[in-house]
Amino acid sequence: MNKINFYLLEYAYAYIKRNKNKNIFIVTVFTLLVALLSSVFFITTTVEHEMKERISYKPDIVVQAYKAGMQSSVDSALLDKLLEINGISSGHLRVEGTYDFRAKNRLFYLYGVAPFEDQEDPFIEQILQNEALNSSQMLVSDSVKESMHQAYYDKYFNFIKPDGSLQKVFIKKSFPVHKRIELQNLILLDQDTLRKIFGYSENEGSDIALSVANKNELDFITSKIRLMLPNAKVVSKNDLNVMYEKLFDYDSGVFLSLFVIAIFTFFIIIYDKANGLSSEEKREIGILKAIGWRVEDVLHAKFYEAAIISFFSFFTGLLIAFIYVFIFKAPLLGEIFMHNTLLDIHTFNLDFYLELSYTLLIFLLSVPVYIAATLIPSWRVATLDADEVMR
Amino acid sequence: MIEIKNVSKIYDGNIVALQDINLRFKEGELIILKGVSGSGKSTILSLIAGLSKPTLGEITVDKKKISKLPDHFAASYRRDNIGIVFQKYNLIPTLSVTENVLLPLFPLNLPRELMKEKSSNVLQKFSIEHKANVIVKNLSGGEQQRVAIARANINDPKIILADEPTANLDEKLSLEFIEILRELKSKKRTIIIATHDPLFFDLDIVDRTVSIEHGKLL
Amino acid sequence: MFLTPEIITLTVLNFLFVIFATIAFVNALKIVLYYNADATTSYQYALEKKSYLSATIIKFIFYVKIPLFIFFVYTLDSLSNLLPGAMCAAGVVSATSYGTPLLFLKILNLYIFAFWIVLNDEDMKYEGQPYLKKKFLLFCVAYFLLIAEIVLESVMFGAMDINSVVDCCGAIFSTTSQTYLSEILATSPTVLLGLFYGVFLLMIVSYIFKNRYIYSFLNILFVLISLITLIAFFGTYIYEQPTHHCPFCLLQSDYNYIGYFLYIVLFVGTFFGFTLGIIEFDDQELQKRFHISLLYNSLYVAVVSYYPLLYYVKNGVWL
Repeated sequence: MNKINFYLLEYAYAYIKRNKNKNIFIVTVFTLLVALLSSVFFITTTVEHEMKERISYKPDIVVQAYKAGMQSSVDSALLDKLLEINGISSGHLRVEGTYDFRAKNRLFYLYGVAPFEDQEDPFIEQILQNEALNSSQMLVSDSVKESMHQAYYDKYFNFIKPDGSLQKVFIKKSFPVHKRIELQNLILLDQDTLRKIFGYSENEGSDIALSVANKNELDFITSKIRLMLPNAKVVSKNDLNVMYEKLFDYDSGVFLSLFVIAIFTFFIIIYDKANGLSSEEKREIGILKAIGWRVEDVLHAKFYEAAIISFFSFFTGLLIAFIYVFIFKAPLLGEIFMHNTLLDIHTFNLDFYLELSYTLLIFLLSVPVYIAATLIPSWRVATLDADEVMR
Repeated sequence: MIEIKNVSKIYDGNIVALQDINLRFKEGELIILKGVSGSGKSTILSLIAGLSKPTLGEITVDKKKISKLPDHFAASYRRDNIGIVFQKYNLIPTLSVTENVLLPLFPLNLPRELMKEKSSNVLQKFSIEHKANVIVKNLSGGEQQRVAIARANINDPKIILADEPTANLDEKLSLEFIEILRELKSKKRTIIIATHDPLFFDLDIVDRTVSIEHGKLL
Repeated sequence: MFLTPEIITLTVLNFLFVIFATIAFVNALKIVLYYNADATTSYQYALEKKSYLSATIIKFIFYVKIPLFIFFVYTLDSLSNLLPGAMCAAGVVSATSYGTPLLFLKILNLYIFAFWIVLNDEDMKYEGQPYLKKKFLLFCVAYFLLIAEIVLESVMFGAMDINSVVDCCGAIFSTTSQTYLSEILATSPTVLLGLFYGVFLLMIVSYIFKNRYIYSFLNILFVLISLITLIAFFGTYIYEQPTHHCPFCLLQSDYNYIGYFLYIVLFVGTFFGFTLGIIEFDDQELQKRFHISLLYNSLYVAVVSYYPLLYYVKNGVWL
């Protein structure tokens, strides 16, 4: 590779400016394509990254009981059985679930807290360290408090139990969720009180959370439990990670396959545009060759031209995607990619997160494709016979 | 120093542009190639410039056989030894005078100081240094002519070729052009002009006139 | 086969390569058969023009292949998350029987294309174009190797099954199994290191005497012994684990991606050294290439030796 020839670079730049109309069209289309592709990647990788972070706060293994093919409550006797397995360092029965607050059309997430129990989630741990809970109190998130306030519940809230009677719980305090916006509907309260609300008996719970001492054994222990309890649903952290990775890969894969069609079309357009040279342009190349430019020099200048256009479009496209996803939080497109039933885009922060590998991927799908499309047209131009110029 | 031996140029479809041409030009000569358009005089210039290759025969310039050179060597030869002045100047209108004049040297990637030196030398020589940074399309016809000639001389070429240089010029500019030719001749350049402008036919600086018709010498 | 975005990208670019390489191949074939520098027919002139097209296409393919190869290695590494049992690219490569030959073929093709470009640049320096037909003949061969590589890559990705368990590098590179690899790895480190530094010293000597043939030959030996010692000895110091012999884990972030640096430096150094012996460069060019080759090779030796030395300094013992 030789040094960059700045004279040819300047010439290429001047040449681009001389053909403004044609080039503005190309740059616009190319930039939008890159912006679209980048946006999709930014969204999926950022959400995946956030998702992984959330998963890290979950218990290593969660075991749910199934009866008649439907999820049912778990007995504490099951916990004793599971704790006997080698490799399980600890476990506890959890009481947690959702509560449909019909009046405000909102789903609260109720999490039962037992005294002296370690919490896996550091956020919850932090809250509980600052505020102790007695059996008639609960801690709610700021937005839950607001919701309750709108229904005129300020000091306490009445939960409706399955048999229709009410359970009054006092609102001790509210907490902000900051970055953990998936917890914006969280209510923390005493485990036994929650049992009453859900209609669970003393030994019942919604699921069992287990901790594994050696993380490398996670998959092995999970499969052990599955063998032991063929009717239960056993999900480990690793399972969740792989599941979401496959989901997002599948998403991006589908999108990309469609996008490839767009690239292919783009390729043809560029090839066509680059091939159509006006007599003015042909004349100019003839002059260059007459004054001593070799075929390689013309090719070199044409390469700079393609490089300027493609690199400019690439970076501009990235910038647009960046602003769209991280500053405007991806309206429209974000919803399409978030499978509204599974995940709600608005529960994600979409903080800045950039993976170099995806940038390289986007680069490889755009810049070399563009340059490839200009290869043959540039060659045709560079090998024009110059002796017509003499006439 | 230019020798054209048994040269024929036949294009596809058996179009005979030149037929068995034999010419010899000495260094420092000013030669007029006289003939109507299509007679083949532009083809001769093209061959001497190395822009095309003869179908038969051999062209030797300064003891170097140029007819069989591969393209990239022919281009280097042209850049270093030939200066071409076109009928329509063929300058790039949106670039400045300096940029136009340095255009032949762009691919060489020379250091900036050297480029500046070369350009100011040649612009001075042809009296347009005062317009060095002006965009060419804003120049008058006469000024553009001088830029075109300056560009042809940027590399101090031994041979100057001009194809119908006065076809688009009024009498005043034509005479100015002839004065520049006089100056170039005094510097021992070999100058070959293809033209049918009668202004050249009885000129004192012309050493020889060669007439061509239908690809053959008369 | 699953279509991860990485695999789709590789496929799109491979497809481009096939199309353009075929165009270049057809032209190269015509040139090898019909090119006649003395002819003045318009067919000959067309062939001369076509030689530029083929050269441009070959350069394009090569310069895109480089980032693409790095991307390919990255893809292998990222696939290790999806294939059960694989913890780095080694598992992915061994998941199918195509992995190892594909990797070798890819590296070989990079060398061949790089060599073609060097040959082309030399050829263009002389009016007689001494290597013209030779270089296009070389490309005709390289074309089939390229197609083989692309076919192999598609087959490999197609054959990958996310449900079957693969070996991880601990199993592949262990010293207790019965393969040739384990025999090499089991050789005494003194012998291997002796060869490694010995070849390097000989290279320096042949550099001083400017003997390009011996230097070139030594470079071939050097790249082989470097890879072996990297797996058998130096790698273990980078990982700080005497049983970790994997050449791919070096590429992961845990080790600051040092693998990329080492491999690139090694390949560049030995490539320049190797071509010295085949092409007749003029003096200035020869000097330059000797310098570059020795510089990169020395850099490789320095960095790779740094790790065991650092370990010894920190811990007082060898592994």
